[in-house]
Amino acid sequence: MLRIKNLHTYYGRIQALDNVSLHVRVGEIVCLIGANGAGKTTILNTVSGLIRRAQGEIFFENSKINGLSPEKVVGAGISQVPEGRQIFGPLSVLENLQLGAYLRFKKKEKMAIEQDLERIFQLFPRLRERLTQIAGTLSGGEQQMLAIGRALMARPKLLLLDEPSMGLAPLVVRDIMNTISALRDTGVTILMVEQNARASLRISDRGYVLETGRVVLQGSSEELLNDNDVKRAYLGKDYKTFWEGRGPV
Amino acid sequence: MKFWNGENEQMVREDLEQVQLERLQSTLNRAYKNVQFYSKQFDSLGIDPGAVSSVQDIAKLPFTTRKDLGDNYPYGLFAVPLRDIVRISPSAGTAVKPVVVGYTKGDLKVRDTITARFLTAGGVIDTDIVQICLNPGLSNWGRALKEGAESIGASVMPMSHMSTSKQLMAMEDYRTSVLLTTPSYAMHMLGVMEVMNKDANSLALKAILVVGEPLKDKTRRLLEAAFFVDVTAGYGPSDVMGPGIAFECRQKDGLHISEDHLLLEVVDPNGGAPCPPGQAGEVVITTLTARAFPLIRFRTGDLASTMEKTCPCGRTLARLTGITGHTGEVLTIRGVKVHPAQIERILKVVSGAFSPRFLIHLFKEKHLDMIEIWLEMTDAIFSDEVKVVEKALTRLRQQMFQMLGLEARIKLMEASTLDDYAAPSGGVIDDR
Repeated sequence: MLRIKNLHTYYGRIQALDNVSLHVRVGEIVCLIGANGAGKTTILNTVSGLIRRAQGEIFFENSKINGLSPEKVVGAGISQVPEGRQIFGPLSVLENLQLGAYLRFKKKEKMAIEQDLERIFQLFPRLRERLTQIAGTLSGGEQQMLAIGRALMARPKLLLLDEPSMGLAPLVVRDIMNTISALRDTGVTILMVEQNARASLRISDRGYVLETGRVVLQGSSEELLNDNDVKRAYLGKDYKTFWEGRGPV
Repeated sequence: MKFWNGENEQMVREDLEQVQLERLQSTLNRAYKNVQFYSKQFDSLGIDPGAVSSVQDIAKLPFTTRKDLGDNYPYGLFAVPLRDIVRISPSAGTAVKPVVVGYTKGDLKVRDTITARFLTAGGVIDTDIVQICLNPGLSNWGRALKEGAESIGASVMPMSHMSTSKQLMAMEDYRTSVLLTTPSYAMHMLGVMEVMNKDANSLALKAILVVGEPLKDKTRRLLEAAFFVDVTAGYGPSDVMGPGIAFECRQKDGLHISEDHLLLEVVDPNGGAPCPPGQAGEVVITTLTARAFPLIRFRTGDLASTMEKTCPCGRTLARLTGITGHTGEVLTIRGVKVHPAQIERILKVVSGAFSPRFLIHLFKEKHLDMIEIWLEMTDAIFSDEVKVVEKALTRLRQQMFQMLGLEARIKLMEASTLDDYAAPSGGVIDDR
């Protein structure tokens, strides 16, 4: 579905991505793990058109999307849930969701949008309860649900999730992860960036490990969860004692 | 069962190439970061691993040779800390020092998968009784085959030191259904069966899978007719990888390469330029998933060519013709790779500091490769006492077996007889 070849991206003169290639198949959850500044978010932002790439190719459903503007990328079927939610605080929950369907309002798909709202309320019953509440007053978990719901309103085929568990309590993280898993079952393909490597690998099919802008390892989630390098670097297992600690989630 | 990894063995070409590219790039990143040998080599040639943007770009990278493996003995080429290694697997190699290959748990799983593909393609299923007959020089492969067959769920008789007649007895009594061996040992078994007045009707064999040596058409036909079985072959360079990195399917027309785990090139052994399909050249292998022991453009010394058309069996994995020969001086004896210099070193050790003149004579006896060292009789070896000479020769044979895993015969010769062959010391007379 998504195929990235030899992506190089710079912030000014600093190289953020160095020859990154990866792919996501239809119906998969793929996660990108790595330390801060490894380039995970940069990959998402480059795919969604927020950042321009210097070199490389991005194919979505066999057509080239590199160089497209963000709204064109959304139109092609890719929606991004940005890091830190970035919902519109002063607006109500409903208004936030409706904004997610902005491109579709122009296409006069009002009926379909109503149906999608219903679908999202089934996925996140909490949002229906708080329909008219000002989004800024929602809890962190609810805001994350709203951010995902808003992205879904564009009817994406591929959802880009940036740190969905950031700043959330362990129990809420579990909820969000379960929701992401359920989302996939509704037919959405997911590319996710996570600091919480363990929680994200548990629900994903495959993963890529990034280090300073390069992919250093890839594999099935099971392989990565059992990999000693990954355990040491990202699962918080100490070099000396590999005991199964009780990490978050 | 037709495939072991149906999905991976039948990948659409474009998807496979994407997977290969991703894995190649991360392999280069890991090797550059973790293995000094590779980072030094890349830096000295001004190569940036980040500049490899297609599988074909691999041609820009330098080769790794058997000498490099020997120079970095024992752990120099490992890309993970020793604590992550679960198997240390030495083999004689062809340099002064042996070659030590390490495997992580994950690496062993990958090897099992690749081996299981080879076995499944040859018809092995979980209800089979598999008997492994290899000589000690191929004991690493014996283990790989055992573990691969076990992962399929077959019942495995691992390799052992039983004589051929005992092996045949076991084959008959235990109702062995699959024999894993070398082509020459299978032929040897046939010969022994004739002497024992046995025929294949008393056996339950349904397939023979051969490794270690090229399988000639004639040998295949003979074995298939005599044992009433299908015979398929697997390929691997015996010192560094598993036995079935390329394997025949029941079409028996070329060996499928496990391309999702290995990148295989065929290059001109002299210039190193890539050979087009159909043109024979040296097989060069790059690992794509190995964690502990990544190899970048390893020159195997084996000659073969790639095939262009896809196989009717359904696998999309590209095919290699059988091995047609070897480059340079490396000899393959019963599947074991031997360099004449190794034999010279053993002779030196046994005879003291000086280096005696010798020739290596290779021939077939009852279908088996035999190696005979023709050693010049000099004062240093020769003694009036037969006992002393005998002792030296016994030691020599022991050393050969220990170092190479091969039973060698030693023949003492007059200097003038050796002169007749007009070959330099260490020369090879191949009568096979």
